[in-house]
Amino acid sequence: MTDTEAPPRVLVVDDAATVRLYHSSLLLEAGFHVDEAANGLEAVEAAMGTAFDLFVVDVNMPKMNGYTCVETLRSETVGTASPVLMISTEDRPGDADRAYAAGANLYLVKPVAGERLIRIATMLTAGRGTPA
Amino acid sequence: MGLVRKKAPEPVEEVAPERPSAEALRAQLDDPDPDCRREAALGLEGDEEAVPALLARVAVETETNVRDAILTTLSAHDTETVAGNLAVHLASDDAALRTAVAEALAAMPRSMPALLPSLLAAPDHDVRVMTAMVLADLNHPDTAAWLVQMISEDPHPNVVTAAIDALLPVAGAEHAAVLEEAVHRFPDDPFLRFTVQAALPRLTGTA
Amino acid sequence: MASAPATGAGLSDADFTRFTEYFYKRTGIHFTPAKRYFVDKRIETCVRESPYDTFTGWFAALRVNENSGMLQDLINQLTVNETYFLREDYQFDAMLSTVLPNVLRDRGGVNRIVGPVKILSLPCSTGEEPYSIALRLLEEWDQIDHVDVEIHGADIDSEVLAKAAHASYGERSVQRVPKAWMNKYFTSVGGGRYQVDEGIRSAVTLHRVNVCDTFSMRAFRDFDVVFCRNVLIYFDELSSRRAAENLYGAMRPGGYLFLGHSESMSRISPIFTPTRLAEGIVYQRPTGAK
Repeated sequence: MTDTEAPPRVLVVDDAATVRLYHSSLLLEAGFHVDEAANGLEAVEAAMGTAFDLFVVDVNMPKMNGYTCVETLRSETVGTASPVLMISTEDRPGDADRAYAAGANLYLVKPVAGERLIRIATMLTAGRGTPA
Repeated sequence: MGLVRKKAPEPVEEVAPERPSAEALRAQLDDPDPDCRREAALGLEGDEEAVPALLARVAVETETNVRDAILTTLSAHDTETVAGNLAVHLASDDAALRTAVAEALAAMPRSMPALLPSLLAAPDHDVRVMTAMVLADLNHPDTAAWLVQMISEDPHPNVVTAAIDALLPVAGAEHAAVLEEAVHRFPDDPFLRFTVQAALPRLTGTA
Repeated sequence: MASAPATGAGLSDADFTRFTEYFYKRTGIHFTPAKRYFVDKRIETCVRESPYDTFTGWFAALRVNENSGMLQDLINQLTVNETYFLREDYQFDAMLSTVLPNVLRDRGGVNRIVGPVKILSLPCSTGEEPYSIALRLLEEWDQIDHVDVEIHGADIDSEVLAKAAHASYGERSVQRVPKAWMNKYFTSVGGGRYQVDEGIRSAVTLHRVNVCDTFSMRAFRDFDVVFCRNVLIYFDELSSRRAAENLYGAMRPGGYLFLGHSESMSRISPIFTPTRLAEGIVYQRPTGAK
């Protein structure tokens, strides 16, 4: 179903506008198509209307936090199998396990260096779309 | 069949449902049925005597819809007792609880200020990050000043970046120096550097 | 302080960005660069009519004091408020094509459903919305002769409710109504006005209620479909949360809630489950315990 000429579509989900800007800028520069959502509920609604190839999701967000967002993305409400990368300020023990239990593929602690983000995003979306 | 005709001859009906007693509602806060607890929490709007029971429920309520209803009712009591009790949950391991509490506290501008000295000095940097999140939405004229204090003084880069994110929407040229200083304090943080560099032109009017 | 634009007209780029980020954060609504002129003009009006001399002063006051009515004025300026028959009727399309069939199926099917299908229009304002629903059901729902349907309209404003009860409308309000429907359901009452016939008027029960008032809203129970379009956006954080809770309580589990086309629950409350229909997003009260 992927259009081989289209870059992978990423949804960046974070309540902080600066974080969205940082992650979006890096991904755009690397040739990804990027959309943004400011909380987990907005992300779920966006994912209902658009097939994303990758989700980059924060944890601490109002209305719907990241874990609930990822659970909902994986549930029949959305039902996406696309990779989910969680990036959070939280680094308590058990946070990564919680992320994986929710259905995330990877959990990273902020800040994530640009190169690392792109390497990981590229790896997770390999075979989905084609970066421009 | 079809469209049912209305029963009353009056063109407009005033609604006058049965009003349950506050005691009954307070008792319902522990009902096994979550819908019952939810309705009780909402029905206790404005009832000061219910505040202790509502605060107690926040800690133990497992249904998020019920907890949201409890916090909706509690947020309207902008008092130091309520704010102080809720603020404890900013340290919770439960992400849904700590973010819901942060949202509630952001709607309490009268009582939040008294909590700030201890929150800004909390040993757990995650609590300080959540505090910055509250400040991002708190409608208080001193918010910028508290955020500037966090940006200049907090030892953890993630707290500083959360405070910067909260400050930028209201920042002006007078904040450029404190932002630049933050980059010097944390030269290895790529996100902080990027964020300040992206924001400065807009602040100093050179965009 | 960001510098004023060279032309002296409209907001500076920095101010436009600052404003649109705030508005997006607050309402979930994006203003793209294409809407720049529109936004500039509207904000200019708000600032001019306010006690503040500059955008900066006005904006600071807006952020600190959302309850003051400034936000309401702003949203009034930025959104289209007119009410008329068959407004945003793609949602009525969704009601007919998907929502009502789902409701019937969930309630046992047309032969076993017990009790009426209940539809609520809130705010109903001067009545165009609930009467539009009535007309579309009568004309286009193939089950209308087999199922009881109650239509209720509710509003806080008794003046508009009186107008809704009287149900006479000018040309502008009815311009989207098909001529055949005008002939069938309206009577010309002179002065370019048309009144909805008694049969339709009596099919809509009107109520005066404040959606933020939990007790009053308890009068509404078990609604299958609720239209709550273009009102939640005006409320501050706490009021909109309470209103959402009150709507939830008014609905049957599995019931459907339509917001205005540019509105989203993402800035209000997570208690509803979003569902994607062909015509857009609709919200449902969840069924069963979580």
